[in-house]
Amino acid sequence: MSVLYLLVPLALLLAACAVATFLWAVRDGQFDDLDTPAVRVLFDDEE
Amino acid sequence: MSLQTCSHCGLRFRGRDNPPETEPVFCCAGCEAVYYALHDSGLDEFYDRRESWSVDEPRPVEQPGVNDDEVSLFDSPAFLNEQATRLDDGTMKVQLHLEGVHCAGCIWLVERMPRLVDGVIEARLELTRARITIRWNPQRILLSEIATWLGQFGFTPHPIRSHSVKSRSKAGRRMLMRVGICWAVAVNVMLLTIAHYAGLDAAADSGLYYTVLYTTFALSVVSLVVGATVFFRRAIANLKMGKLSMDVPISLGIAVGWGHSTWATFTGSGEVWFDSIVILTAALLTARYLQIRGNSMAADAADRLVSLLPQTARRIVEDTGEIQTVPADTLEVGDRIRVLAGDVLPADGRVIDGSGQVSRAVLTGESDTTPVGVDDVVEAGTRNVAGPLVVQVTATGDATRVGRLMEWVDSEIADRAPVVQLADRLSGVFVAVVLAAAVATAVAWGFIDSSRAVANVVALLVIACPCALGMATPLALTVGAGQAASRGIHVKRDDVMESLNGVTDVIFDKTGTLTYGRPDVVEVFGNTEAATLGCQLERHSNHPLASALLRWSRDHGVAPTPQHSSAIDDVEEVAGAGIRGIVDGREIAVGRLSWFCDVPDSLRQDARRTTARGFTPVGVAVDGTVQAVIAVGDELREETPRILNELRSRGVRIHLVSGDHPQVVATVAEQLHIDPEYVFGGATPEQKLEYVEQLRNDTDAKTVAMVGDGVNDAAALQAADIGIAVHGGTEASLASADVFMGKQGVEPVAELLAGCRRTMHVVRRNLAGSGLYNLFGISLAAMGYITPLLAAILMPVSSLAVVGSSLIQNSFRSEAPAATDSISTTEVTA
Repeated sequence: MSVLYLLVPLALLLAACAVATFLWAVRDGQFDDLDTPAVRVLFDDEE
Repeated sequence: MSLQTCSHCGLRFRGRDNPPETEPVFCCAGCEAVYYALHDSGLDEFYDRRESWSVDEPRPVEQPGVNDDEVSLFDSPAFLNEQATRLDDGTMKVQLHLEGVHCAGCIWLVERMPRLVDGVIEARLELTRARITIRWNPQRILLSEIATWLGQFGFTPHPIRSHSVKSRSKAGRRMLMRVGICWAVAVNVMLLTIAHYAGLDAAADSGLYYTVLYTTFALSVVSLVVGATVFFRRAIANLKMGKLSMDVPISLGIAVGWGHSTWATFTGSGEVWFDSIVILTAALLTARYLQIRGNSMAADAADRLVSLLPQTARRIVEDTGEIQTVPADTLEVGDRIRVLAGDVLPADGRVIDGSGQVSRAVLTGESDTTPVGVDDVVEAGTRNVAGPLVVQVTATGDATRVGRLMEWVDSEIADRAPVVQLADRLSGVFVAVVLAAAVATAVAWGFIDSSRAVANVVALLVIACPCALGMATPLALTVGAGQAASRGIHVKRDDVMESLNGVTDVIFDKTGTLTYGRPDVVEVFGNTEAATLGCQLERHSNHPLASALLRWSRDHGVAPTPQHSSAIDDVEEVAGAGIRGIVDGREIAVGRLSWFCDVPDSLRQDARRTTARGFTPVGVAVDGTVQAVIAVGDELREETPRILNELRSRGVRIHLVSGDHPQVVATVAEQLHIDPEYVFGGATPEQKLEYVEQLRNDTDAKTVAMVGDGVNDAAALQAADIGIAVHGGTEASLASADVFMGKQGVEPVAELLAGCRRTMHVVRRNLAGSGLYNLFGISLAAMGYITPLLAAILMPVSSLAVVGSSLIQNSFRSEAPAATDSISTTEVTA
């Protein structure tokens, strides 16, 4: 079971990365508007 | 010009006459571009699918366009310093409110700007809040040029006025971050704790056991600092005010649970409940975040109103009479301003010269324009669509009608703190019960087995943690109020929903609520052809009834056309009597019956009957003889009788108290089968107030709701248990009302009552569920049966049950869930 001494910190590190990404996304305003992106996917990006 | 429906977005707009039936028609270039893009790619099926987001009440648009004075403001250093941010790479970024946005085509077009306009780096449009974020290179293009580019498509950019917008979205973001961190912590603590439940203990593998224990402790500290402090702070604030709110037992539960777990961790004796505590914190924080989000939606709707006010005004210099363009903020009461056709009024005022037509769509949602002349009152935010006016300013800025509406919504948010009556009442009882049970448990176990006394008491306090109870009411009410807002019904306080559920008496004010609120042709007696001839003549009249006749003739396919107008001659309007002129070579006169000498007896009787029904008879004379009588009146809304019957079937008593003529009120009451005992016509504001107060004192358990719109209703609205202001109401009625309707008519009232009943049903369901949970939990804990495992399972399950039950409610049935709320629709298209 000693592998857990490695895996638990690793899992927590991964969780910390996920939280950091989430905080970045919130600060970036990605959660401010939840309706427009749903419509935006309808448009073609190519020129 | 005729009303057409855009083939792309479904918007009604004024377009060319008689388009070919098969050809698609469009309201704007954006819609046309998207339509053909879809059509050419064979994606026409889109139009069968898009119903979910099309606006439910399309209105005609007056293309706003861009005004040069307004645009030049965008380049002023003062504006850029205040609103724009300079980024590191030398570009600038600004957020503006974009008027005229209503469909997906608009997003498409606006976001294409960087490719079409040199110097624009990025453009993002937020559809729901009609807000555009532009990033541009100031060396290559001016913001005013960007605004002009947008203007050519009918989009008008406006600066965002309110400073609260930014702080509001910041508060929302901060709370969301807390929620995210707390859930991350909660889930990880849960995962680690599973090892304990699976049988890991100090004897089996002491190294791993303590690693897990200390890790969960460390994580719980994060959750405590980031999440639980929100509740601690509010609980302390509440206690200082001498109140027991739900935050108190929540804080108590968290503090006791965490304190005991920490003690157990470091002494190695007793149970550890870190997992329960972090889940509890995360779940309660989520409920609070949803509440914040719901509140800011209502505030955004009001901010849009203020953004629509123009930034500049044309002030007339007192001495010289020349016209000066000044910022709207510097206007003072008493100033005279010039308002050209197409301008939006920058302030409230009184017309002192000129005549025109104003569109009050922004304030009332009513798309028809109203004629204004000298001495008429005009409000900030309304648009002058014809003729130049000189207006004397009577109120500016926050003192205007729009400003006061803003204030109303702001106070709505400030009022949010002492909400949730039922839960607050319960929480007092709850805290008392839990404390009593804890004391009883401690005493009892002190006799039975003193070594287990502390553990059992703490188990009781943790399991009794009012997680579910704390979320039951606010979450259900918030979700309900949010659903109501998306249907255009703005509930000022959550507790109103509770009172509305028990409403026993509804008092209606007739005008505009039960009726259409505007004159319409009800019936035509005599020669219909003569009536249509008369209607042609009415085109030259500004009389309020003229618009009713014109609408009628248009609906009957005899719209006045340019060909006809050439045949109208010698028009003369006689004040207080009518109008006469030559139509197609025949002498026509339209006016009040007493104005004519030659009236046939049968028509005279029809006219009398018309008066008796509460309508106004209008005579049409051809070559000197009256040939038709047109009954004009404020007709009952089609849905009114059905909805009143629905209310009655639920045991709600209907009252009709109106300032209108008693005869008219009695007629309407008779048509609607309202008990004459509850009908009061010709009421003065004081009498209305008295009526409401009398009704409230009549029998003690009565809850009275008053639905009104006029300034004369304000006092009565305040006096009633629940005041409901309908759309188009005056500022005074808004200030004293508890609920503000974004839509007109009686339908939203019925919708509101039905919605509140369903919401309260959810609240009771939640309370019953969590009460039952607590009852069992506390009893079992008191008897010493609760193990940490059981507590850990029961806690999240009960909370999730409450969250789920609140979120899945469908209290305000909405056909278009993703659509912008109706308020925003009217404002954006205005």
